[in-house]
Amino acid sequence: MTLQRDPQGLERRMLNRFVDFSGKHVLEVGCGEGRLTWLYADSARRVTALDPDVDALRVARTDCPVRLESRVTFTGASARHLPFPHEKFDIALLAWSL
Amino acid sequence: MVHALAEIRRVLQSDGVLIDLRPLEARWPVEVASAASTVEVGRLTDLPIAVADDEAATRAMQEAESHGWFVREREEIFSYVYSWDRPSEMKEFMEDEWEGIEKLEESVYQSAQSTWAVANADARVQVPVKMLITRWKKTE
Repeated sequence: MTLQRDPQGLERRMLNRFVDFSGKHVLEVGCGEGRLTWLYADSARRVTALDPDVDALRVARTDCPVRLESRVTFTGASARHLPFPHEKFDIALLAWSL
Repeated sequence: MVHALAEIRRVLQSDGVLIDLRPLEARWPVEVASAASTVEVGRLTDLPIAVADDEAATRAMQEAESHGWFVREREEIFSYVYSWDRPSEMKEFMEDEWEGIEKLEESVYQSAQSTWAVANADARVQVPVKMLITRWKKTE
């Protein structure tokens, strides 16, 4: 199959137009296999990406570029009960997930 | 969904930002596109579950806004394009990935096939998905 997604890269451009990830700790909710994560994680200080789908997270961990391994953490969790303390993140990103 | 937004608010810093990026159900067009032209051949049918999810997400954000949890700072619509070499690949993808969300009616598929068959050699078939991106700021 020769599917192309967003060949003009509009999604990445819109994300960067809406928020500056530089030096920020980002919580990504509904990361799935990490497709969106790879678009911005290079800019962020740290990314905590979560999804309740453990199979999708396994793919995300496998696909994670080596350069991002120390910066991106994938966590199995639902947004209804976030396993984090108060005021931990600078940015929350609802990734096709609300 | 509202509970999730309350949780997100809790873990965001006081000047934190929430980005909501999601597709909107809007009977997305099916197009045959080449360098020379783009022709709409029909539209997908939104299925009830997807429409209900879409409406629930919008209601949840409205409720969060009414509670004063977040203030809307900026919002835009853009297209996220899915593109395939040929109509049969589009159909296969939709049956695998969008089952229960979107339906490709046979008449639209036939129209895509016939239009694509006589289009320029570089023609592909595509679906521009309507996307909403909103920047919300956490309130004090």
